[in-house]
Amino acid sequence: MVSLNPVRILRNEAEEERAETARLSSFVGAIAVGDLVKSTLGPKGMDKILVAHGRSAGQVEITNDGATILKAIGVDNPAAKILVDMSRVQDDEVGDGTTSVTVLAAELLREAEKLIEQKIHPQIIIAGWRRATQIALASLEKASVDNSGDPEKFHEDLLNIARTTLSSKILSQNKEYFANLAVEAVVRLKGSGDLSAIQVIKKLGGCMEDSFLDDGFLLDKKPGLHQPKRIEKARILIANTPMDTDKIKVFGSRVRVDAVSKIAELELAEKEKMKDKVNKIVNHNINVFINRQLIYNYPEQLFADAGVMAIEHADFAGIERLALVTGGEIVSTFDHPEMVKLGHCDLVEEVMIGEDTLLRFGGVPLGEACTVVIRGATQQILDEAERSLHDALCVLAATVRETRTVYGGGCSEMLMANAINDEAARTPGKEAVAMEAFSRALRQLPTAIADNAGYDSAQLVSELRAAHSKGDHTTGLDMEQGVVGCMKDLGITESFVVKRQVLLSASEAAEMILRVDNIIKAAPRRRGPDNRPC
Amino acid sequence: MVVNPASGDTRKMQSGAFKDKSKPKDIRSSNITAGKAVADAIRTSLGPRGMDKMIQSANGDVTITNDGATILKQMNVMHPAAKMLVELSRSQDIEAGDGTTSVVVIAGSLLEAAEKLLARGIHPSAISDAFQIAANKSVEILTKMSRRIELNDRESLVQSASTSLNSKVVSQHSSQLAPLAVDAILKVTDPAKDDNVDLKDIKVICQLGGTVDDTELVDGLVFTQRPAGANPPRKVEKAKIGLIQFCISPPKTDMDHNVIVSDYAAMDRVLKEERAYILNIVKQIKKAGCNVLLIQKSILRDAVSDLALHFLDKIKVMVIKDVEREDIEFVSKTLNCRPIASLDHFTAENLASADLVEEVSTGGTNKVVKVTGIQNQGKTVTVLVQGSNKLVLAEAERSLHDALCVIRCLVRNRALIAGGGAPETEVSLRLAQYAQTLTGVDSYCLRAYADALEVIPLTLAENAGLNSIATVTELRNRHAQGEQTAGINVRKGAVTNILEEEVVQPLLVSTSAINLATETVRSILKIDDIVNTMQ
Repeated sequence: MVSLNPVRILRNEAEEERAETARLSSFVGAIAVGDLVKSTLGPKGMDKILVAHGRSAGQVEITNDGATILKAIGVDNPAAKILVDMSRVQDDEVGDGTTSVTVLAAELLREAEKLIEQKIHPQIIIAGWRRATQIALASLEKASVDNSGDPEKFHEDLLNIARTTLSSKILSQNKEYFANLAVEAVVRLKGSGDLSAIQVIKKLGGCMEDSFLDDGFLLDKKPGLHQPKRIEKARILIANTPMDTDKIKVFGSRVRVDAVSKIAELELAEKEKMKDKVNKIVNHNINVFINRQLIYNYPEQLFADAGVMAIEHADFAGIERLALVTGGEIVSTFDHPEMVKLGHCDLVEEVMIGEDTLLRFGGVPLGEACTVVIRGATQQILDEAERSLHDALCVLAATVRETRTVYGGGCSEMLMANAINDEAARTPGKEAVAMEAFSRALRQLPTAIADNAGYDSAQLVSELRAAHSKGDHTTGLDMEQGVVGCMKDLGITESFVVKRQVLLSASEAAEMILRVDNIIKAAPRRRGPDNRPC
Repeated sequence: MVVNPASGDTRKMQSGAFKDKSKPKDIRSSNITAGKAVADAIRTSLGPRGMDKMIQSANGDVTITNDGATILKQMNVMHPAAKMLVELSRSQDIEAGDGTTSVVVIAGSLLEAAEKLLARGIHPSAISDAFQIAANKSVEILTKMSRRIELNDRESLVQSASTSLNSKVVSQHSSQLAPLAVDAILKVTDPAKDDNVDLKDIKVICQLGGTVDDTELVDGLVFTQRPAGANPPRKVEKAKIGLIQFCISPPKTDMDHNVIVSDYAAMDRVLKEERAYILNIVKQIKKAGCNVLLIQKSILRDAVSDLALHFLDKIKVMVIKDVEREDIEFVSKTLNCRPIASLDHFTAENLASADLVEEVSTGGTNKVVKVTGIQNQGKTVTVLVQGSNKLVLAEAERSLHDALCVIRCLVRNRALIAGGGAPETEVSLRLAQYAQTLTGVDSYCLRAYADALEVIPLTLAENAGLNSIATVTELRNRHAQGEQTAGINVRKGAVTNILEEEVVQPLLVSTSAINLATETVRSILKIDDIVNTMQ
């Protein structure tokens, strides 16, 4: 017998969106996210204020970095979430292009929406996109330049890339200065690409031009009282050990005595124990001792007697990095001095930055290590400057690994778009429509750049397209003048890896979202009423 | 949650080249309004005739101050852009220490100028770039105006300190506080090689009672703690001072311990041993010849027990307890002695000597312990600030800090410029001239920037109750005729050569104010959206 009630498969509160509705909701979500970050694109892109709610309510962040913005907003829409994740991966992978990748994916979906309105099946669109991606990649590879054979030219390339990346950030005014700084820092790494050897310290006050690169390592700590403030040829022992007392860590352990003199003896014994420990440490033939934990007055004094600079309570990241750059290891026991690897550096001294005194380790054996000190007017500016510098460093490190470069300023996008268009014209079948859509989406990137700078995007982009069709493959947007210009002369260069990653991630993500035709939201887990006082 | 109400519109607009930018515009104008509001709030406290603000905090505490950084810190603003201005003033406080009000007023005025430029349809990035050019040019002009000084030119230093103090509550004491600030800084610096001053070498101690007049510079140490004990020595000549970090109280292990007392005799023994233990320590102290004992505060146990105090009294040792751990470094630097962390190290060579340690009364019933005539004293100095009530005292301390910072600026960058609105007027004039040599948007923005800087003389005149328009135009006129040092003489209520009035300020204060204000305004201009986040 057939029941008249509709058959219910899902649980009571679960939701299901099907076909058109599902697609619509993913398009809307993805496009909204794309639009959110679109205005930050390009050298004249704008910044956003992020106001935190919830736990750290009232905290303000100002940023131009796509990944940071997207990470901060909480999205509910599944498609939007995919874009956010994608930009995060881009950030981890290559560090820059986080906005571009989101905008490109959103534009692709915007085009897809139009095609679907024309009753073209998603699978056909996807087939077209795949071909388009291959063509774009091939043309990008063809256009890429590899200068790694010529060190001088390569250095110039690196500077150009740094300048291009920084020009869209808060550091744009001082980009020359910071580009040099970032390149110098990355060149010091000698190809290892280990960014953890570059330390960034932020200090309020001064202006951005007061920022500098120090070829040593800076630690925000002070040596103990009456200990040497300056040590040459330092032999450094880095430790993580309690320097108050070696406690017995059994709960409830206590001593029972029947006389005060015995307590005094015990106290003395404890002191002797500490003295032994200090002697053991000093026996490592060191003159600098850095501990992760506190050093109490008594051991501090013993160190002072031995002429050892003892630094207490160094933070965790600090000592790990210090161990890395000085070539030492972090130890917790001191019984075998011969087995311990000490850190070395030429000079340990105090330096003053702004109002604070820091400890500088100069001439460290890991010649790659360096510290960038950023100064700025407000905390927000400092944070943003750090993010921008981080982006530049990431891109540079990626370029050192994969040395090919391409031209920026919308040049590569237009190149790819034109290549796809040419191929589309030769392709029979409905894929051609999808390929054209792909090229349109690519052209949206230079359009957004021009729009953000307040120029007439329609005019500029059509000029750009005409130039590329004529065979001028280095033409791009010159946003200083608001005209179309040669990117080679202007030195607007981007890393090939970043561009490739943008193209591939965006098309993959868009494809994934397009394939969706059903969204099922699981029923929320039941919770008991919250009776806690708030 | 996707917060983007504009997303629907953008899709509609996509077809044409024209784009509606209503949301970014709204955000920008809201930011500018907030910034201007903050600047307006503290504008009236600028200058020698500036007014003070009374701030009542949530828990009922009242602060009266004229210091921009302090007002803003207490104001508890909500708007993100307004918060940036608060940070700006804090940053000026760190960098220069003075000019915290000016920097916000300049930023407010620049924002107002930017608003007008935006209304004319100039793109924010273009304005932002032009402002940076203007700032660089201004710094150049200021540097050209400035006059080099040497640190032995005491008179100039005192003048600049009193300029800073003149705008504070304590202005009537400026003739006393200014030389004091100069002496304090000069005492801790070596003019030949130092190009920075660590203000931590100058200890400012506040004591209620007396008046600001009684503020003094003590070449030595001052403790607000009374000597401990029932009948301690009040005055010790030829003092041998020991700075100890161990405790004079019954022993204690780091582990928990129990003393088990099984009978009456055992109890007696416990007491006796405790006595013997402390006596042993005291004997050691006596053997070393110590007669003044400074004891670090301990949270784990009594730093000094009553019994120990009793013994120490007997051997006529002055005991000052509860010296904070942070202060130990200062004290040991001043006395040029080592802090002693264990009894074994308590020997004669680890003691410091001073000519006199004395408990003196400072206005009213309050007493402090002064240590003077220290041998081999380190490069440190103590300032004892007094005031009749808590509010005045706090303000006096802040003002003194500003004055110290002004002198520190001069140590860092040894150049002076005239005060009284003269530099701002000059920069404004020269910048406007420079703008005429340019073409395009830059010229227009530089012009606006130049006009915006006139807010400083304008506010000075307004606050002094002068006719602001008449004064500023006269000032402009005099500068146009080449009188670089013409400024507003608040005392006479007229425009005069300000150098004759001895109103001078360090170059660093002005340049840093312009640089920081411009940097902040540029970053505010670049914002086009406020996004709420969940974290």
